[in-house]
Amino acid sequence: MQFTFFHLMPWPDLKEAPTEWPAPNAEFNGERGTELYDSYISTMADAEKYGFDWVAANEHHYSPYSLMANCNLVGAALAQRTKSIKLAMLGNLLPLLNPIRVAEEYAMLDVMSGGRLVAGFVRGIPHEYIAYNVAPSESRARMREALALITKAWTEPEPFGWESEHYQYRSVSIWPKPRQKPHPRILLSASNEESAEFVGEHTAMLGMALIADLDSALKAIETYRRVARGYGFDPSPDDIVIMQQAVIADSDEQARALMEPALKYFHGLLMRPQLDAQRIVLQKSRFFGTDTQREHFVGRLSKLKARTLEDQIEAGSVLCGSPESVVKQIKRLRQHLGAGHVILNMKIGNIADSVVRRGMELFRDRVRPHVAAL
Amino acid sequence: MDTFETHEVSLSTGPLRLRIAGQGRPLLHLHSGAGPRVSPVVTALTGRHRVIAPVTPAFDGTPAHPAVKDFEALADLYAEFIEKEIGEACDVMGESFGGRTALWLAVKHPALVDHLVLEGPTGFRQPTKDWPTPGDPIARDRMLYARPERAPHETRSAAEQAANSKAAEGYANGITYEAKLAERLPEITARTLIIMGHEERVIPIEAGHLLKARIRHSHLTYVFGAGHAVEFDQPKLVGQLVADFLERGESFIVREADVA
Repeated sequence: MQFTFFHLMPWPDLKEAPTEWPAPNAEFNGERGTELYDSYISTMADAEKYGFDWVAANEHHYSPYSLMANCNLVGAALAQRTKSIKLAMLGNLLPLLNPIRVAEEYAMLDVMSGGRLVAGFVRGIPHEYIAYNVAPSESRARMREALALITKAWTEPEPFGWESEHYQYRSVSIWPKPRQKPHPRILLSASNEESAEFVGEHTAMLGMALIADLDSALKAIETYRRVARGYGFDPSPDDIVIMQQAVIADSDEQARALMEPALKYFHGLLMRPQLDAQRIVLQKSRFFGTDTQREHFVGRLSKLKARTLEDQIEAGSVLCGSPESVVKQIKRLRQHLGAGHVILNMKIGNIADSVVRRGMELFRDRVRPHVAAL
Repeated sequence: MDTFETHEVSLSTGPLRLRIAGQGRPLLHLHSGAGPRVSPVVTALTGRHRVIAPVTPAFDGTPAHPAVKDFEALADLYAEFIEKEIGEACDVMGESFGGRTALWLAVKHPALVDHLVLEGPTGFRQPTKDWPTPGDPIARDRMLYARPERAPHETRSAAEQAANSKAAEGYANGITYEAKLAERLPEITARTLIIMGHEERVIPIEAGHLLKARIRHSHLTYVFGAGHAVEFDQPKLVGQLVADFLERGESFIVREADVA
């Protein structure tokens, strides 16, 4: 199995939950911000020493939930501080961005890192569409077109033009092109069967986060496998990438005691303004193709928020416990979902950085040795 | 937009049927192997151009010209037509089979071609490549169109369609890859727009790369959501692209401000 260390770069100092979206930024402190970036980037770079295969970042806007407005900047810093670990951008919010810019920045990262980029493209969560003033109902079409355009920009041997509904470029010829040929491996996210079909169609790796329960995750994974096979690609376990919030501590009791307040901060404070924006977007747009998908998305988040930590561990939604318990939980993901790659999101909310580092040590010494060969 | 009127002219090799509509700079539109069809793109172009759409001899029941047996000879025929009937260099647009003819015209008679537009031109399919030739219309449409529901209503009988296919095959003489034409592509002086459907399933993608690499002043553009029949799959995108290219030439790559 393979493992990724993921960092959301949360703001850990909120005293109370913002009531509306966007969260006011009056309390942002620049000096504290610098400290956090230093600490977070150092921790991420050290993932290489702790035996992780990838180190990953993603993109969010207008929120203390994440200080990662552009994960490619963090990727560039990591390219300079690491030697062999893969840099997974998971990913750029494709429908919101200029696809040529994304193609260029990803190509730069791939070349700067000596061919270590994993190129993630995601549609994003609903509130990001307000932030960048893009119609949520266009998200699917933009995603599809932009992905095709970026692949062309990376692989075409001659300058070319591009005409699609949302993107028109009369002349494209990016410098640099990616170092990996034909291009870096692509990861697309899916949370339901419809998006899993999209991933399968593009023969990409499948990424899943915030799993409500293993059975519904399995449905989407089976759809992905079936569709991918129809396109001549038989996904291996390494192509199925599951992200979990994770606390590994010296004992089960300690892990639970650390994770519980961290999740409370995450769901109760950091996520609060997003939920407000999400409600507005979901009411007023066709961000989801069908009502079933909309209900699935909203239900999944409410389910996660409402459940006790014990329920979440039991449902396979989080990794939490001593190294021995986490080994068992990872084996269950492998067995139940056929997943060969787990992303550990260890900086949950305001959990202390020292706890994250201890978890990374325990992962290296007492978790990975028991699951790497699975 | 004007409606097309049918005319006939006499050339040294035989009669040529034409359909003509519109006002403005002449644009010679050479049809695909399916035979002449008026797409929404061609109709829109009549708002800016005098569109002249000849019926290739032996298509749609017109008489074959015994001396015109291949694409080179077809190119000479159209050169004679331009010289006699238009009297100056004109813009040329060729769809698939018509694109191959247009390429020969631009190679052999560069002074007669001003701007050249190629839509998935045939003639560069390596013989080693195994391309399907489906016999039934549904499979054929799936190969030709990314949006089969936008395929034009076929008014020809099955026998007439078969006769057009036979005529197209006759000009090709079994040659799927024109090595001689490929060699001579650098002789083309016309500024050229090569349009390929992003979901093209008839013409190999390498054909677009070859044309772009060998035609000196050329632009290769992919149209998303289009297969081989780009004019029918994405008429709005293709219509705007072609009109802009023919209007502004090389500066078509510069975006103009949207006018409210």
